Amino acid sequence: MIKIERRHETPRWLVYAIPFISIAVSLLFVGLLLLAVGVNPVDAYMTMFSRSFGSKFGLTELFVKTAPIVLTGLAVAIPLRAGLWNIGAEGQLYMGAFAASFIALYVSLPPPLVLPAMALAAAFMGLLWASLPGILKAKFDLNEIISTLLLNYVAIYWVDYLVYGPMRGKEVFNFPYSDIFPDFAILPRFFGTRLHAGVFIAIIIAILLYLVIKKTSFGFAVKVVGANPKAAEYAGINRKRIIIYTMLIGGAVAGFAGMMEVSGIHMRLRSGLSPGYGYAGIPVALLAKGNPLAVILSAFLFGFLYVGGSALQTTYSIPVSIVYVFQALIVLFIIGGEFFTKYTIRIRRG
Amino acid sequence: MDFIASLIAASIRAGTPLLFATLGEIITERSGVLNLGLEGIMIMGAMTGFAVSLITGNPWLGVLAAGVAGMAMAAIHAFFSVTLKADQSVTGLMLVLLGIGLTGFLGRSYIGQVAAYIQPVKIPYLSELPFVGEAFFNHDPLVYVAMLLVPLTWFFLFRTRYGMEIIAVGENPEAADTLGINVEKLRYASVLIGGFLVGIAGAHLSLAYAKLWTDGMTAGRGWICLALVIFSGWMPQRALLGAYLFGGLDVLSFKLQAAGVGVSYHLLKMIPYVVTILVLLISVIRGRDKFGAPSALGKPYIREQRY
Repeated sequence: MIKIERRHETPRWLVYAIPFISIAVSLLFVGLLLLAVGVNPVDAYMTMFSRSFGSKFGLTELFVKTAPIVLTGLAVAIPLRAGLWNIGAEGQLYMGAFAASFIALYVSLPPPLVLPAMALAAAFMGLLWASLPGILKAKFDLNEIISTLLLNYVAIYWVDYLVYGPMRGKEVFNFPYSDIFPDFAILPRFFGTRLHAGVFIAIIIAILLYLVIKKTSFGFAVKVVGANPKAAEYAGINRKRIIIYTMLIGGAVAGFAGMMEVSGIHMRLRSGLSPGYGYAGIPVALLAKGNPLAVILSAFLFGFLYVGGSALQTTYSIPVSIVYVFQALIVLFIIGGEFFTKYTIRIRRG
Repeated sequence: MDFIASLIAASIRAGTPLLFATLGEIITERSGVLNLGLEGIMIMGAMTGFAVSLITGNPWLGVLAAGVAGMAMAAIHAFFSVTLKADQSVTGLMLVLLGIGLTGFLGRSYIGQVAAYIQPVKIPYLSELPFVGEAFFNHDPLVYVAMLLVPLTWFFLFRTRYGMEIIAVGENPEAADTLGINVEKLRYASVLIGGFLVGIAGAHLSLAYAKLWTDGMTAGRGWICLALVIFSGWMPQRALLGAYLFGGLDVLSFKLQAAGVGVSYHLLKMIPYVVTILVLLISVIRGRDKFGAPSALGKPYIREQRY
């Protein structure tokens, strides 16, 4: 007879092994998919590696793609610690990109102040965009998953409206782009590659949020609300306020990611400026279990998937959406694996 | 009058995928399982249905295949949420990623192709009636199937033994378990039936409504349906109203655009999403959310171990 039993204690090695096993099994599954469309998976994975780790350009691209995912990962992770799902990082990123572009193109400021103003405007706009679901959740218990997600569509259509309409550039022919930003509105780049200052800022933000989460009473309150809302009430923690604050932090961070993308990469506002970075933040935060420092590491894995994914696209013309399959599989296998940390399967006679 | 009749007809057509998916999710959620993966399941249905119709030349085989594909996706959700007792939100969200990813990957060669689609069927005599005939009786068969499913779902849930057991499991699994009802089996069944209907919703989209396959063609309809479930208070008859109203919104932004109202196409496209949030808000403020939601919704059932 096969019996599922609760474990009394979990072997330590199992906890650490699960993410690695999950990644390996996902690689195997995607490999089968690649075989199905006639691509040798070993060749494909070799291509992914050599294109990301094999050259200076590849390595810097890896960092450039990791940086926005660090931020969207944080945008999901912080509310997640309070038990909230921010599925709206994508929309918050777009709204941040809009605000930053508006400052860059239409507001005349002394040049040294432009970049800080763009960053602040982007973070504030992202915060504003996240505040609505946060307040509705706190006041009316409105499902934040549905509301944050629906707002993504609104934000993406808003940016589309702008770049097809009032913000379309004068010298872009018929492309849905704004004009190029002036030089002082573009993040400094290094080594003649696309590696820009935003990459370092993203890591600093992750470290700062780690300190806030681990060392302040606010961080503690967030943890209590996430772990046990009842206990939070007994402890005199204002649960509603924590819900709203974590959403605001998430929105601000994702909004800043939008500024980083338009100012560091595209140098203009454009349609389709994010290849789903906001959604990538969800598995990243889950993999990191809400820990801001771990977010950096798990974002790196997903940055690799994006760089590798576009290498697959150029070499084998495989759609980049294979990255989504990877993301989903890794998380599903991790959840499957976690079951075995709590339960064990016994086979008994009789 | 003709304009209004054609507007109603178009709203019903656009609302049909929403109706299939909302009914499916009502059955799933009534058993206490929250499946957030509608968007991913629906797009799998849309792609599979289109592909099978293209290969076999028979759109009805496509519809069937879409239902089965939806069921397969739902089976993943059932396994994780019922057997492994995992967080249902996470699995649902991952189904969305999985569906969008797989269809983008596997469906690429079908973009721009023309598959056999589902032809409209005029109902004899009724379709001859002025106004009503044009509005209600000149649709493809799936539209009528969806309409019939509304009373059938109601009857199934509230008047049959299985239906009432599903509701019991969604309200109070402990009590149901004590009465000898197999909680896990019923939850599996509800999730699979729900997935089947959501898959069919996708097939209607690609084989009857749009008559083509493109990447991401569900465009948030799965999420709108999740809101419609709340709006309907988990009642099939209210789902009908909600689905056709939202179908109407979709059509309206189209018709306004065609009429050249001077408002940007992209701004008009926002309407359904903004209205969904407003409707959700109204439902929640009026308390219907708390009133109708199955008590055990989203909570895994873990039977206490007995020694």
